[in-house]
Amino acid sequence: MSEEWVENARMIVESARAIVPADGSLERVRKVRFEGPGYDRAVMQEAGELGLFLMRVEEEAGGLGLGMRETCELARVLGRGLLPEPVLAAIMAGAMLQGSMPEEAMTGAQVITWAWQDALGSLGWKGGADGGRIKGTKQAVQGAAGADLFAVLTDQGVALLPRDAVTLQTAESLDGGQLCTISFDSEAEILPCPTAQSVLEDATLAHSAYLLGLSERALEITLEYLRVRKQFDRPIGSFQSLQHRATEMKVSLELSRAAIFATARRFDTGADALTRARGAARVKLRAAELAMHVSREAIQMHGAMGITDEADIGLFVRKAMSEANLFGSPRLLRARLAELLDEGDAA
Amino acid sequence: MTDLPDFNAMTDADFRALARDFVETNYPDIPRYTLGRLHWDEVKPWYLVLSEHGWICPTWPREHGGMGLTAGKHLILIEEFERYGAARVNDIGPVMLGPLLLKYGTEAQKAEFLPKILSGEHVWAQGYSEPGAGSDLAAVRCEAVLEGGDWVINGQKTWCTLGMDANWIFILARTDKTVKKQAGISFLLVPMDAPGVTTRNIENLEREAEFCEVFFDDVRVPADHIVGGVNEGWTAAKALLGHERVFIGAPRLSAAAMTRLKRIALRAGVWHDPVFRDRYVALQCDVADLGDLFETYVDKLRGGQTIGADVAMLKIFQSELYQRISELMMEVAGEEAGLAQAPEGDRQLHAAATWLSARPTTIFGGSTEIMRNMLAKAILELPS
Repeated sequence: MSEEWVENARMIVESARAIVPADGSLERVRKVRFEGPGYDRAVMQEAGELGLFLMRVEEEAGGLGLGMRETCELARVLGRGLLPEPVLAAIMAGAMLQGSMPEEAMTGAQVITWAWQDALGSLGWKGGADGGRIKGTKQAVQGAAGADLFAVLTDQGVALLPRDAVTLQTAESLDGGQLCTISFDSEAEILPCPTAQSVLEDATLAHSAYLLGLSERALEITLEYLRVRKQFDRPIGSFQSLQHRATEMKVSLELSRAAIFATARRFDTGADALTRARGAARVKLRAAELAMHVSREAIQMHGAMGITDEADIGLFVRKAMSEANLFGSPRLLRARLAELLDEGDAA
Repeated sequence: MTDLPDFNAMTDADFRALARDFVETNYPDIPRYTLGRLHWDEVKPWYLVLSEHGWICPTWPREHGGMGLTAGKHLILIEEFERYGAARVNDIGPVMLGPLLLKYGTEAQKAEFLPKILSGEHVWAQGYSEPGAGSDLAAVRCEAVLEGGDWVINGQKTWCTLGMDANWIFILARTDKTVKKQAGISFLLVPMDAPGVTTRNIENLEREAEFCEVFFDDVRVPADHIVGGVNEGWTAAKALLGHERVFIGAPRLSAAAMTRLKRIALRAGVWHDPVFRDRYVALQCDVADLGDLFETYVDKLRGGQTIGADVAMLKIFQSELYQRISELMMEVAGEEAGLAQAPEGDRQLHAAATWLSARPTTIFGGSTEIMRNMLAKAILELPS
């Protein structure tokens, strides 16, 4: 059972404990929200020093060359801690840039993120290159409000832009971060990136694992509340209607976990393009629905406490709402899967 | 019976090839891919072929006439038989009683009953449920009293699957009314031809008789027809199940239903309808996710690990998913959904047949509601 990836993942998660302690306090998460970029650049530097941004850089390019199972395990743990920093975005920037990832981005001395999405409500990523120039906009750029470097994906490859080459438009998101649009129009070197589509699918999978971790911890907190909260002289968790609904959440959680790690294994062991496209859409669909399912049940089961900002469960709910639709809403993903229905055998 | 090779020493691929060849070579001229269960007179040739080759009891130890398969190899066998569409035999003897006798039976009982399960001479039925004891099984009232060296049995059992085909039945009987209900139950073996045993078939919503009621009116069986000691029946009955519980959650049933759903949608001309597709792909994702969850349990079995109570999640999701697929079939089939007979005589196109056959899956073998109660306490650690 103890495959190599399990040990790798254990080590990565252990080192990540420096930035996301096991079931630790959410005080820091609460503190950085609605302030500045909505996260702490110093934590990005710590993550860089831990080598996290090298996970998906190949070993021959000076990286760790780890797989998607390790990445998903890290993402799950980050999600449990509601880590607000754009760690996964920096990992994906590294995956695209490989050996061209600047030293200061690898170490976290400068915060790097990636920008791929052409338009809200779509999964298109090919825009942004115009002749020799890099010109256009990218949407929903994670962590952009505090970033120094932007890895911009286009059909010509990836361009690395400094902060002063982009115009930033931000809107506060529910979790206290920023939903950012970047615009750019400048000369830039465009590096070839033949793996762009794969990186996007990897990112979708990793984001799903983040939502899994978030949901897992939110369910634990809710179950704990069900055990201690008393009404009618009994813990409310003894009531059958709540027990049955709690088991529904658990089933969704385990389906999501199984689907994410099985898909990560397929990705790691060489899946074909159709399997990858379907796999990414499927796990993201499940994870988004899971996160919203757990969120609404968590509020209901916490009763009036669930609708206060002081209760920690609200941090999970707001994060789920902010992020469930990134990399495709359930509607969009089902539409995508319907398009793929007539290609090859049913997945 | 021929000498069996050491199946567990074979590679999985070799064993799979062997199992495939076995079923293709030996399956008799009887129906395949049936939606419902076949009766003994239809399925008997397959039982006997399996018996002749020593393949009827895959999980029993070899010294007792089984194949001695590990859980991983057993899974392969099931997969290959299902792939071929082999009918399920009356397996209450091989799957339920055999393992129970091996664990709790006396040497005399093993010597008497195991060979007759292997040969098909005894076809067993299960007598657990009663009209007043379904999910609350420990409430059984069917009573057995020791009288002059015999157990004298009075009462009723119900939902005995294929009981009309059985010549023996094992029952849970009340043998002590003065103690906690679980503590006063014994496990008894009763020949169906004993004086005082009568049966009545129960037709299901498909108007087929898959189960029956069994009545006991002063039925006498010898005192040694008890397994696991007086008042120890509940323990014995509960100890069963083991790794077989995993297979109930296999995605195959739902995956096959998706194929039928597609055919029904094509027939109805809605295969390209976006409203239909939205729901179809959601179900397709559910089947794939179930498959991934199922594999995590199969991996545990292959690794020699035991399966915990959480495996109930598989059965809950699989059975409800199968029902949801059948519900979309009914919508898609339009007016044809209401026909008593399959369109063009093709049962695969008969939405109602799948809808009806999906109903018992959330009721038998532990209802979904009972399983949720159990999960809430055993896995989520919610209070009583």
